[in-house]
Amino acid sequence: MTRTPPEILQGTVDILILRTLAWQSMHGYAISHWIAERTDGVLTVDGAALYQALHRLENRKLVSASWGLSENNRKAKYYTLTAAGRARLKSEAAVWNRYADAVAKVLSPG
Amino acid sequence: MTSRRPLFRFPWRSRRQIARDLDTELAFHIDMRIAELVAAGVEVAEAGRRAVAEFGDLDGTRDYCRDLDTNTERDLQISDRLAEWRQDIRFAWRTIRRSPSFAIISVLTIVAAIGANTAIFTVTRAVLLAPLPYGSPGSLVAVYERPRGTASRGNPLSVPDFVDYRVAQRSLSGMAAYSDRSLTWRPSAGDPQLVTATSVTPNTFDLLDVRPALGRAFNASDDPASTRVILSFAFWSTAFGADSSIIGRPITLNDLPYVIVGVMPRAFTLTGTESMWTVLDLDRELADAPVTRKQHYLRVVARLRAGVTLGVATADLESISRRLQAQYPDANPDRLANLVPLHRDVVGDVRPALLLLQSAAALVLIIACVNLANLTLSRTIWRRQEMALRAALGAGRGRLARQILTESVVLAAAGGALGTAIAMVATRLLIGLDPAALPPLFDVRPDLSVVGFGLLLSLVTGALFGLLPALDAARANLHGALQEGGRGASGSRSGASVHRALVVAQVGLAVVLLVGAGLLVRSFGELTRVRVGFRSDHVLTAEIRVSGERYDSTALVNRFYDRVLGDVRTTPGVRRVGGTMKLPMDFRQPLSTIALEGQPVDPQHLAEVAYNLVRGDYFDALGIPLVAGRTFTEEDREDRPGVVLVNETAARAYFPDGHAVGRRVHLGPDPKSPMATVIGVVGDTRDEGFDVAPRPAVYASHRQNTWWRSLVVVVRTSGDPRAAEAALRRAVKSADPALALRGVRTLDDVLGESLAPRRFAMSLVSGFAAVALLLAAVGIYGVLAFSVARRTREFGVRLALGATRQNLLGLVVRQGMAWSAIGLALGVAGALAAGRLLEGMLYGVRLADPIALGLVTATLLVVAVVACVVPATRAARVDPITSMRAE
Repeated sequence: MTRTPPEILQGTVDILILRTLAWQSMHGYAISHWIAERTDGVLTVDGAALYQALHRLENRKLVSASWGLSENNRKAKYYTLTAAGRARLKSEAAVWNRYADAVAKVLSPG
Repeated sequence: MTSRRPLFRFPWRSRRQIARDLDTELAFHIDMRIAELVAAGVEVAEAGRRAVAEFGDLDGTRDYCRDLDTNTERDLQISDRLAEWRQDIRFAWRTIRRSPSFAIISVLTIVAAIGANTAIFTVTRAVLLAPLPYGSPGSLVAVYERPRGTASRGNPLSVPDFVDYRVAQRSLSGMAAYSDRSLTWRPSAGDPQLVTATSVTPNTFDLLDVRPALGRAFNASDDPASTRVILSFAFWSTAFGADSSIIGRPITLNDLPYVIVGVMPRAFTLTGTESMWTVLDLDRELADAPVTRKQHYLRVVARLRAGVTLGVATADLESISRRLQAQYPDANPDRLANLVPLHRDVVGDVRPALLLLQSAAALVLIIACVNLANLTLSRTIWRRQEMALRAALGAGRGRLARQILTESVVLAAAGGALGTAIAMVATRLLIGLDPAALPPLFDVRPDLSVVGFGLLLSLVTGALFGLLPALDAARANLHGALQEGGRGASGSRSGASVHRALVVAQVGLAVVLLVGAGLLVRSFGELTRVRVGFRSDHVLTAEIRVSGERYDSTALVNRFYDRVLGDVRTTPGVRRVGGTMKLPMDFRQPLSTIALEGQPVDPQHLAEVAYNLVRGDYFDALGIPLVAGRTFTEEDREDRPGVVLVNETAARAYFPDGHAVGRRVHLGPDPKSPMATVIGVVGDTRDEGFDVAPRPAVYASHRQNTWWRSLVVVVRTSGDPRAAEAALRRAVKSADPALALRGVRTLDDVLGESLAPRRFAMSLVSGFAAVALLLAAVGIYGVLAFSVARRTREFGVRLALGATRQNLLGLVVRQGMAWSAIGLALGVAGALAAGRLLEGMLYGVRLADPIALGLVTATLLVVAVVACVVPATRAARVDPITSMRAE
């Protein structure tokens, strides 16, 4: 597991969370797991960054939160993507894809 | 994951709750990680350490999230509240739509009340609240002189006095003077026109702190003899098509070439009627100071020095007045300077009328509120069952009260928006209908502040009339209401007494307005019955002015007017033609001092008389009777000794022995001017207004006093007076094509204009009173109808026990009339107490005028009976069997 530099995280955590929640509603711990699994451990989000981002997204009404019971019957806070969050994900993803393509082109040999 | 269910959430979380929730969330994450590590074989204590380390900055995250959540929570609160309001409004809308008749009555009531208030406010704002169109208008004052110890505004100043004040004063940062005059403007194409110009001292524009829209204002370098002119925005627009290259171009005024140096901004005016400004020639008047010091005609405006109060400045100028009085006792008899804040000076006469109208409109609004409160109260009582049901389903009392309040505010907002829109249009019509009713200085037009006023007032209205019913709904006895099946309010005695009190209040307030309207109508009636002393029908009037530059001799002036008057006299349909310096009821009355031959003269206390110059058949044209002696003839030529006529009041006052004819009098300020002989006595006329009793008046012959160059021609015709206009214009044109005619109107119109402000106030207050009466009638009707409906069963029982239908009819009518009688008594008492507002607007009637009070009583009783009859007949038609089965 390599740690991702925080300055890259700053911009990417939000979109990673939105993408994760597009799959289904989850609590914070499940989100961090899901991200690590999907990227085969390349990207990990530490707790501090994750929860700061989650609360920020909630404040911006991109995700909504409600209390639920976890798999092991503990009280947990579940996050769900809102309609606004879904729209944001779509536009941000497009930007990111273009950006990633561009970087890949620059870096590709020849 | 499937076990997730939302837990109950209290509406809004406290700060502590937010912190607790956050800790729970973060602890869950760490615990999960520990559990995972333990499951992977890590020792528990080590797992704990690793989980916390992996998490990163735990404390920082906690702080960050807590702040963010507090913020989120507040946003949530706001949007929740908005959502609730939206829900309330949606629900209110549905409820309102279910009872359209209630909604229509309410909205119409509000439209009338808000419309009236907003329309009047449009005028009030422009006249009383908006600042004058000058820089820092708060420190501007108008300067007059008034007899010591009187409360009047006073007289204008004389030119030498003005100059002396200006030199000696220490409390003002500047003094400017102005005076109106007529000028003949000869356009490069078309007929010449008479325009009003204001001659000003060059410092006037600086003092008022206004910049020209174009070119420059006058300054100290503009010497009095300069022929420079500044145009008003309106004149520039109409006469020159707002041509901005006008500066520096010549313009012919009074046969002299003037140069246009500036154009003032649209709002700027000094007197409200002037089209241009020229430089005031003080030096010419100063040259003849012994005479001109006695001629008080100069309007003066000044600005208080920074930090100087009105009182200090007044004291300063009063001390100068005393010195002038000691120095020139015959020119300044016992008069002191009087400083009036400019705004008060300008709005002086209109202020009481506007306050009266605004109060009347406010009364209508209060009555409307009372009416709607009553209606809504009745409705909420009917809706008790619904309310009880909603309460049973969990709606709090506050929520129920808010629901009622929302309904009334929604109704008020709808009515208010409509009312405000109507008021905007109505104000235009109102002003257009009676332009003479308002001082011309003010630009009355609805603007955003008026719209804001209307809408704010609507919301307040809604809250006001919804408050009582809302409180009632909040008090509602849930259990009782459900049990009694909704009809149950019959037992509520407090509810009924509130109804009664509201109806009485409403009738009382309507009576206050009715009494006010009655008194104004009576005053107006008295005024129009006043014997004015002349006949205004079949008379056409118009102003003609010869320019002093070409008509520089008495002979020239006389030749011109003789020719014009002679030409018109020979026109078919014209019966008499004359001329005068001042028409009755028009403009300010010129005054002159008078001294009788052979009687000692006290220069400190010279008698003042109304002074007028007339020519031709003036008295015959206006139907003013000759009481003794003769009127002027062509034989009273300019080279003959001066002759005058006096009116009956003057004859009685100065010649109590009854022999006025043949006596000699001295008129005016110049002690060297010769005596004039009284040749006749004519009837009194009301020259200064319908409500001003005639004062002693002297008529001199214009033929012998041609220094006054403009004349108002009066033409008595056998048919339509307007038909004489063409002949008049033709006569002037043929006598001198360079001269103009102005203000062509009938004498009836002149009189109508002088009554315009009173007619305006009277019509509006009467209109308001009619609306108030209608609302009161609706109120009486509504409450009685409601009470009859509630007492259906009681009436059934009474009938079964032997009461006749007449008994029931009487019962209901008596109840309604009792309320009306109490309201009437309270209203009359209130009207008498509030009568101060009417002071100065009444003529010929006392506040406790029996005719007005009798009329009001009769009107109210008739309306009350009508309002009672419908519910009473409904009560009388009750069928005992069905009424008792109904429950």
